[in-house]
Amino acid sequence: MTSIREKKSVTAVGYKFLILLFTVLACVILTFYLGVIEQETIVYTHLFYIPILLAGVWYRKKAVYVALFLSLFYIFVTYLQGNLPVDVKHVLERSAIFVLVAYVIGVVSEKRAKGEETLKETKDYLDNIIKSSADAIAVVDMAGIVRSWNKAAEDYMGYTAGEVLGTPNKKFFADPEEADRIMDIVLRDGELKNYRTTVLNKAKKPVHISISAALLKDKNGVPVGTVRVSRDVTKEVELEEKIKEERDNLDLILEGMADGVYIVSKEYTVEFMNRVLIDDFGDQVGGICYKVFHDREEPCPQCKNTEVMKGKTVRWEWHSRRKNRTYDLIETPLKNINGTISKLTIFRDVSERKRMEEQLKDAKERYMVIFEHALTALFVIEEDGRISLVNKEFETLSGYSKEEIIGKKWTDFIAEEDLERVQNYCVERRKRGAPACCLFKLVSRDRGIRHVNAYIEPIPGAKRCIASLLDITELKKKEAELRETCEKLTELDKMKMDFLNVAYHEMRSPLAPIVGYASLLERIEHTDRGKKYICNIGKCARELEKMINRMLELARIDGRKVELTLDEFSIPEVVRDLVKSLEPESRERRQTITTVIPEIEIQADKQKVVAIFTNLISNAIKYTPEGGRIDVTVEDSGEEIRVCVADTGLGISKEHLPKIFERFYMVDTSMTRKSGSLGLGLSIVKEYVKLHGGIVWATSDVGKGTKFFFIMPKRQ
Amino acid sequence: MQKKRILIVEDAIYMREMLVEMLEQEGADYEIVGFAVNGEEAVENYKKLKPDLVTMDLVMEVMDGIQAIKEIKKYDPNALILVITALGTPDQRDAVLKAGADGYLWKPFTVKNLSDVLEDLLRKRAE
Repeated sequence: MTSIREKKSVTAVGYKFLILLFTVLACVILTFYLGVIEQETIVYTHLFYIPILLAGVWYRKKAVYVALFLSLFYIFVTYLQGNLPVDVKHVLERSAIFVLVAYVIGVVSEKRAKGEETLKETKDYLDNIIKSSADAIAVVDMAGIVRSWNKAAEDYMGYTAGEVLGTPNKKFFADPEEADRIMDIVLRDGELKNYRTTVLNKAKKPVHISISAALLKDKNGVPVGTVRVSRDVTKEVELEEKIKEERDNLDLILEGMADGVYIVSKEYTVEFMNRVLIDDFGDQVGGICYKVFHDREEPCPQCKNTEVMKGKTVRWEWHSRRKNRTYDLIETPLKNINGTISKLTIFRDVSERKRMEEQLKDAKERYMVIFEHALTALFVIEEDGRISLVNKEFETLSGYSKEEIIGKKWTDFIAEEDLERVQNYCVERRKRGAPACCLFKLVSRDRGIRHVNAYIEPIPGAKRCIASLLDITELKKKEAELRETCEKLTELDKMKMDFLNVAYHEMRSPLAPIVGYASLLERIEHTDRGKKYICNIGKCARELEKMINRMLELARIDGRKVELTLDEFSIPEVVRDLVKSLEPESRERRQTITTVIPEIEIQADKQKVVAIFTNLISNAIKYTPEGGRIDVTVEDSGEEIRVCVADTGLGISKEHLPKIFERFYMVDTSMTRKSGSLGLGLSIVKEYVKLHGGIVWATSDVGKGTKFFFIMPKRQ
Repeated sequence: MQKKRILIVEDAIYMREMLVEMLEQEGADYEIVGFAVNGEEAVENYKKLKPDLVTMDLVMEVMDGIQAIKEIKKYDPNALILVITALGTPDQRDAVLKAGADGYLWKPFTVKNLSDVLEDLLRKRAE
């Protein structure tokens, strides 16, 4: 719209004033002429109403001054006529009417002027708004012709007011039909609000606008046109599109996330759920979250909606009792295009992790219980050698409380004299990543020095070590006692050996005169009886000598004093001589001794081999009843000889068989045992065979007989 | 043939008497010239009597047989000494031979054992 402001000019004011002055003067001159010069008796005062009227219209209440002036002049003319005293009443009456009329006209015209001024001010104000409005404002009449066009419209359309006023508005729209459509809506609804459309500017470029329109009606309510307010929203539309695109992208991302995602409005309406959640809870978009998810009639007490709506991001954990699952929730405000805020929730199922954490915690607790109650003192050593964890047993061992121990170096507990050795050793083991095992003395608070056996092992995957300490103080004490006992026993053993040696000598010494005298007696002539006695004395003395020899031999084997004196000799020869020497004995018992021995030469200690055979054969003779058989068999198996001495004796029960080679072992120790044995023969056999690198064993059938076997290498 | 002069060193009276009996049974061959009951006496008597042969017991008071053998051999390396003892372990035998004894007879023994050993010794010496 163009400006319709009225311009005040100095000339206009002067012109009104001159006319007024002129009319006033005209009235004065006319009245003076007629009243004074022509001496008309009646003064024509009706003309006075002309300047009073003019003054009232133009100068409002100031017209009173004009009326007063004219009244005074009228009074003055009347005086000049000399009619004043007669017509005074009449004159004053007329003058009063003048003033009153002037006043009334003044007041009326003033009121009118005031209304006009307000109207003008409002008009100016509106004009200013329209002119300076950032929104384009145009008036289009019912025929679609542009009647008004402001600056903002010029700005975005490129057309000036002069170019468009009086032209149809159709040409502005990208779609010309749009002009009719807008008009129809405005006619139908009386208004149009924020209608989005696209127009073409002067350069024929499309411009997105938001348009609002209102119907203009005349005094009678007949529509005369429309006023349209529009705004260039191209930027906003672009932004919206961008936002929409981003929103779509966001939705895509949310859709594809492994975590559940949903968006809830301030009013708790579910606006979005991603695939994960839909699969889990069903599509609840559009529902009220607390109703559809929690079966509640009002928001959940733990709901973070209020906080999020204030702009806060909240992270919390929620355990669903219904599903028995735990979720990690991140809830953050999401600003919508329309300025409202929704709550975006990321919903991560952490039940597995929770369960693992629980299990880990459980396991940890379990191990802690084991650690705490282990009967071995345990502690954990950090990389710097300080103790970070300790169990009850170590408290007991050291006499210090956990609080006192933790933070101390473990080496602080080692006794001075062991410290360097243990430290060097552990450092060396640590370098190789190997566990350390060492003995040292631990200084306890109240129990003095404790001997401990320590095992320190690196914990896999950590720079710590775990140390276990076994209190071996008691063991040490026992060990010392044992050592003492052992020493005593060694001493006793030596005493025994000495005693045996002496006893051996002392027992043999009296035997010498017995045997000697017996041999002397044999040389003297005797009766048959005497000869028999002497013979018996000699035999018994020899038996006694043999027994004494065996005892000494065994004592010597015990003391590991026996060595082999090697000879080359023939086995059949040795056995034959031996059997011959034993024959008198066996003949007495009417036993038969048979030998099956091939020609074998062996290298061995002859004396000991003789002793082996002697013991085995004489044993057989001793335990085989009268008339029994003894078979001696020797086989040559290349590297070794295999010997069997079998008898037809009583046999040995299974219970005794494994023990017969043990020293002093006698199958029968009762008073009814067969006398003449100390149970040493077989143990000597075993020792001698062993000395030659062979083995000896026996098999037996009770009541049928026993077989003794031994195998011995042919050469040493 | 001149009788061999023998010094008997033996602390046990029965053994001394028996040795006399045994040696005298052999008749003209041996003559007992003296006795000693310990090593010291043995060395003393050896020096005094100069016997052809000494029978030497080992376990005796004052001075044992081994020591006595050493002393006698020191005095007379040609002395002929026969050890008659009940000690019979190999190391004891070694010790005796090392000390310089010429023969060894193990108790108990018969009269024949004794005469065999003596004859053997004297024959070896004669050679």
